[in-house]
Amino acid sequence: MKLNEIRSRAKDKFSSTGFPSNKDESWRFTDLRYFKTLDFNGEWSNSDLVFEPLSDVFIIFENGKISKEKSNLNNLPKGVILTSINNQESVNFGSLISPDSSFALYNTANFLDGYYLKIDKNINFKKNIHIIFLSDAEMYSNNVRNLVEVDDNSKVTIIEEYIGKPESTYVMNSVTEVITNDNVDIDHYKIQNESNKSFHFQTIETKVGYTSCFKNHSITLGASLCRNDIRGQLIDENSNVVCNGLYLLRNDQLSDTHLFMDHAAPSCNSHELYKGILADKSRGVFCGRILVQQDAQQTDAIQSNANLLLSRSAKVNSMPQLEIYADDVKCTHGATIGELDENALFYMKTRGIDPFNANALLTFAFANEVLDEIKNNEIKNKLELLIHKWLGEVLS
Amino acid sequence: MSLLSINNLYAKVEDNEILKGINLTINPGEVHAIMGPNGSGKSTLSNVLAGNEAYESTQGEITFNGTDIEELDAHERAREGLFLAFQYPVEITGISNMYFLKAAVNAIRVHQGKAELDAMEFIDLIDQKKKLVKIRDDLLERAVNSGFSGGEKKRNEIFQMAMLEPRMVILDETDSGLDIDALKIVADGVNALRSPDRGFLVITHYQRLLDYIVPDFVHVLVNGKIVKSGGKELALQLEEEGYESFEKVEIA
Repeated sequence: MKLNEIRSRAKDKFSSTGFPSNKDESWRFTDLRYFKTLDFNGEWSNSDLVFEPLSDVFIIFENGKISKEKSNLNNLPKGVILTSINNQESVNFGSLISPDSSFALYNTANFLDGYYLKIDKNINFKKNIHIIFLSDAEMYSNNVRNLVEVDDNSKVTIIEEYIGKPESTYVMNSVTEVITNDNVDIDHYKIQNESNKSFHFQTIETKVGYTSCFKNHSITLGASLCRNDIRGQLIDENSNVVCNGLYLLRNDQLSDTHLFMDHAAPSCNSHELYKGILADKSRGVFCGRILVQQDAQQTDAIQSNANLLLSRSAKVNSMPQLEIYADDVKCTHGATIGELDENALFYMKTRGIDPFNANALLTFAFANEVLDEIKNNEIKNKLELLIHKWLGEVLS
Repeated sequence: MSLLSINNLYAKVEDNEILKGINLTINPGEVHAIMGPNGSGKSTLSNVLAGNEAYESTQGEITFNGTDIEELDAHERAREGLFLAFQYPVEITGISNMYFLKAAVNAIRVHQGKAELDAMEFIDLIDQKKKLVKIRDDLLERAVNSGFSGGEKKRNEIFQMAMLEPRMVILDETDSGLDIDALKIVADGVNALRSPDRGFLVITHYQRLLDYIVPDFVHVLVNGKIVKSGGKELALQLEEEGYESFEKVEIA
């Protein structure tokens, strides 16, 4: 199917469904009524926001459109294609999108730009690929569409970072599809630091092949309303998905994470650790669904969602959902919502650490577990700084 | 001047009166042992001294270094040089031992008007102190007490003590759960830190620990009161006769 045909079909489908309401099961706790009253008719513009690439391979998006001047794609080896999604047609485009995902449909119908990354066989690409989305066009509706294809025995690290101008209102609706062949290793990081008044939606769809591994590390700091849908299809033996995430919320922020791991093949692992720290009147929603199909024997699926409430007015809805049709599997899930450990606070104080710092250290420690698995120090340092900055602001 | 002076101290936990008039004076350089059966108030005493807010002292005074510490928060007492080695050291996931210790050492140094240690100076201090309790490097990198064995946790307490160089040390049943080898290592660590200007209060159920950390004074705590004080030979008497005879004294 040609791209314009895919787009027009998506448009038709979206016009019959529209954006979801609370009647849709997966939107039960996330209210879009206010969002739907807004008219995002702002004009596109260049962006004045500053950015700091963590690599010499980076793409800069200005309000959803690639800036050739600001990006640097001069350091790509042979076998690595990184370009605008509009420059390349791929048979895989749209192949993973669930027909019920209205934001993804809207994206398909309306996307302006996006990145396309293709890596050939046997390439261990050691540099980080840093994709930075800058948003500061008021009342603008950003729709970015990304596709990653990685061939056998290759390895890559991708960072998607979303930065917004504080107090500015806009929508970021991003869709990233990731397709691997055999024995592929992908580290995918997402840093969401949008404007506090913005609306952020992202759908990540991945199909993971034989002995391949897709790891997603996500940190959510910004947006008034943020919804992340991450869906993994484990379609061949020994494939692996890791989804670790942290949401740090304050004021009236809402962050909604929906994970769906579809185990369709034997001996696959999916491990998910999501943690939230919620201050003020913020709200967190976590839904982790694990489907183990009949053929998916020896599945190892672990899911954990832990929340730390810093305020009595903060609220979390956490919903693990296991659907298991195979009999030889190991599946565990757990959800906790709590406050800081009084014994640990006392212990720290007896070592001379004052109550403020004891609180901050323990809160940081709670968050830090999510970063434990990150081996890439540049990224880890950046995330640690973001967490420290957030804690400094929220705890003071 | 005495280092720690406890005068007619009463304390309660959730409406239960546990300490019923404790009197005790510790001078610099002295090692005192408090021995008592289960439920006599040993852990309450150490928690009250360290400033645990879950324990409420209802009467009496605690003077440390000449200041009444009643109004001081736990971290302020620690900065003044009071150290509690916990009976059950708390596991703190997500903070490495090194990071935790650096925060503690520097908080105390700043309070003392000294400059904070930089990373290199801190490592030097670690290298110097870790020999005392033979603590392994991998334990320093791990999260505070997380997944440590009982012996490793107690050794870590002594290591922290060595790092923080307190004036007054309270060891709360440091011997509990230790095998004889671990006990010796811990005792060696404590003995290495004995000095003319540092005081120790060793709280224990059993005499065994006092074979290795030999006290200057022994006190018997029964039902929230010190019922007898004496020299180190009192510990041996307790070992032979048990607490029962002292409990009778208390009732009579």
